[in-house]
Amino acid sequence: MTASIPAATLLGVDGHAVDVEVHVSNGLPCFTVVGLPDASCREARDRVRAALLSSGRAWPQRRITVNLAPSSIRKGGAALDLPIAVGVLVADGVVPAEAVRDFAFLGELGLDGSVRPVPGTLSLVDAVTAPTIVVAAASAVEARLPRRHRVRPVEHLTELVDALLGTSPWPDDPPPSPVSLPAPMPDLADVRGQPHGRWAMEVAAAGGHHVLLVGPPGAGKTMLARRLPGLLPPLDRVEALEVTRVHSAAGLALPPSGLVEWPPLRAPHHGASAVSLIGGGSGWLRPGEISTAHRGVLLLDEIAEFPAAVLDALRQPLEEGVVRVARAKATVAFPARFQLVGTMNPCPCGDGGPPGSCRCSEQARQRYGRRLSGPLLDRFDLRVPVMRPLVEDLLAPHASPDLEPSRVVAGRVVEARARATGRGVRANAELPSELLDLLAPMDAPATAVLEFKLRTGALSARGLHRIHRVARTIADLGGADVIGEEHVCGALELRTDIDLLEQA
Amino acid sequence: MTDDSQAPYAAALASLPLMTVRRLTALIGAASPEAVWRAVSAGEVRSLPSVASVLGASAREVSSRWTSTARRHDVVATWAAMRDVGRSAVWFGGPGYPPPLAADPEPPPVLFFEGCLEHVTAPAAALVGTRAATGYGRDVARLLGRQLAEAGVVVVSGLALGIDGAAHEGALAATAAPPTAVVGSGLDVVYPRRHARLWQRVATAGVLLTEAPPGTAPEPWRFPLRNRIIAGLADVVVVVESRATGGSMHTVDHAHARGRPVLAVPGSIMSGQSTGTNQLLADGATPVRDVDDVLVALSLAGRRLPTERSPEGAVESVTRPAALDPTAEIVLRAVDWTPTRTDEILRRTGLSLSAAAVTLNRLEVLGRVRGGGGWWERHGHADRSG
Repeated sequence: MTASIPAATLLGVDGHAVDVEVHVSNGLPCFTVVGLPDASCREARDRVRAALLSSGRAWPQRRITVNLAPSSIRKGGAALDLPIAVGVLVADGVVPAEAVRDFAFLGELGLDGSVRPVPGTLSLVDAVTAPTIVVAAASAVEARLPRRHRVRPVEHLTELVDALLGTSPWPDDPPPSPVSLPAPMPDLADVRGQPHGRWAMEVAAAGGHHVLLVGPPGAGKTMLARRLPGLLPPLDRVEALEVTRVHSAAGLALPPSGLVEWPPLRAPHHGASAVSLIGGGSGWLRPGEISTAHRGVLLLDEIAEFPAAVLDALRQPLEEGVVRVARAKATVAFPARFQLVGTMNPCPCGDGGPPGSCRCSEQARQRYGRRLSGPLLDRFDLRVPVMRPLVEDLLAPHASPDLEPSRVVAGRVVEARARATGRGVRANAELPSELLDLLAPMDAPATAVLEFKLRTGALSARGLHRIHRVARTIADLGGADVIGEEHVCGALELRTDIDLLEQA
Repeated sequence: MTDDSQAPYAAALASLPLMTVRRLTALIGAASPEAVWRAVSAGEVRSLPSVASVLGASAREVSSRWTSTARRHDVVATWAAMRDVGRSAVWFGGPGYPPPLAADPEPPPVLFFEGCLEHVTAPAAALVGTRAATGYGRDVARLLGRQLAEAGVVVVSGLALGIDGAAHEGALAATAAPPTAVVGSGLDVVYPRRHARLWQRVATAGVLLTEAPPGTAPEPWRFPLRNRIIAGLADVVVVVESRATGGSMHTVDHAHARGRPVLAVPGSIMSGQSTGTNQLLADGATPVRDVDDVLVALSLAGRRLPTERSPEGAVESVTRPAALDPTAEIVLRAVDWTPTRTDEILRRTGLSLSAAAVTLNRLEVLGRVRGGGGWWERHGHADRSG
């Protein structure tokens, strides 16, 4: 007898529909799984057998063949445990075929028959066309996100079989988790002083500009960078689904609501390999840090310590917003539209201090600067000097009006972004250079400031575009249609004049 | 340019491997460069007594290297290639050799140059100092460079980063006297790379000199030797900014050895970049309060030309500052003469970042402050006469 059970498997972050076909026939008792299963999928045999026996069902002493169709796609993970178990029960005649019509199943089985959640549930559910879907109770919230299926959460194989046979009702949903609050994010109000840094974060959030924070150790670069996601507007539903899909596929913990509603922050250590950053891996193509930072912030702390090859691997995704990982067995595209924040010291000694006070040799400084390749450096619209906070600022009372909390700043960011949307881009960072003059006009005093800087050699042609774009964002924050002198001067103030960076 | 049949051979001798100033001096002094070159090619250079004594124990090894290199070297073609790109060479004793160096205790035996060698004339002042200069040091170097050049004084420096570059930039802003640069690498090896444009401008307007043959890398040991040529060319040496252990102190030692007056620009006692210059002042060097002090040392007092605004405008001394609006006045008072952080300025003035940035940029255009990268400092020369 045969049975065919709809299910799905994960490839990259996308789900693909799979039919689990089970054939039970007379012959020497054996159990084989065919149809391009990988190691974790082949191990399903032992888990399914143990789970069925633990649930008080007899294991058919017959020849069992499981085929995972279509056989062209590689199947990985344990999500097919549950459909295989159900397929065996149907093919063995324990459960009538009519009882599972219009049902799909997803879940990993424990040896005791418990049903466990699997990574990528959102994408898997999305790939399934059957109207009703059975998942692990812990995945119920996530499985309901596509809002297309009737979701039946189960905790144990016994519950499922009893419900299918009609001997007991479908189990209730697990108790809803407490009302989801936005995860507590670090607040900008905690940053004392640092008028430059605070403002740079606001501008970065409003314009979607990639930021390089340059300053001595202990100046608060990382502290500022970690506050950027809190200034970004919350994700809309489409974006949230995209992000949740990646996080789920990467096996990251999801918030209680099941949906990642706030821009994520990912901060890999500089020991990270290129594969861990851009995604891949030999067996299971896993999204990398740049994809888990999709629609959020990728913080590369001490960016100059990352190997050059790893950093240069970021260039293509930065350009396209998507990274295509090709392996012999499959090619997958991971979404990777993230805002890059890098921090670095001004020179190898890292001391900073007033201009001319550093004692590093010229060669050492240039070597340090060259660790960031020119093309990558070019992506950073904002290169902000961050200095150690002034003693007066550190000792200032906590309730100072200068210390605006994140939500006040975020309010201005939303308004500025709305202006950018009117220009046909999501954020000003995406404004193409050739359209800057058209989309971001400047008044005469503003032009005069830039002309002076260009004539005295304090600004390069490349730097000009960056200043122009950032000035547009600052004008947006101020609600101005035309870029004025104050906006350009503000943009110039957010620029480090580290020669080695301007060299590139 | 000189038309000298011996110069190609002198240049070829200077390009031999394992060459040092002492060895080259002995070779150039032994006979005419052409005769010495033939001796080297024939493997007979050790028979020249003055050369043999300089080479000492390593004579056999060195002379065989020279001979094998010389046999592969095409003197005429190399010379023609060098002349094609506008470079040439003179040798000690040959025509066109700069007179100030001819009288030097350690004259460079062969000098490669680009530009016009006639520009190497008296009066000349060397402006030297640290590569890691402060804004103050750069300002002083640029100002002195321009005012000296306006007064017809040749500015000699080393085209290094920091003070040297600023001095040349200043000198190029005037036209009365073209600058002279003495570099440590070959003329085709631009170092530091950042000064490639300045390097070209000096070669076009004035003259670039070096002892090193074409293709020579800027090896660290060449710079102290280069400094002796700077001291030899200049009538006075002005140290603008230097640490007590800086390379400029070598130039000072060479100047002392040649009896050239050394002047030093006073600096803040809080600045590490002025420890050397302040030490020089304590040791009796003449302080430089403005360009007149340098002109007096050159016995040229009164040759100073009236100040005119240079095309840059900003790097200019402001003798009679224009009246400022009240905000600018407040902001200006909040900026120190040493680098001041922008957040410190905000704290002192109570202004917002963008308001302060606008005022600071306006003050920069007026030449009253300068800055960038979160630092600002007061700027402008306090003129004694004004």
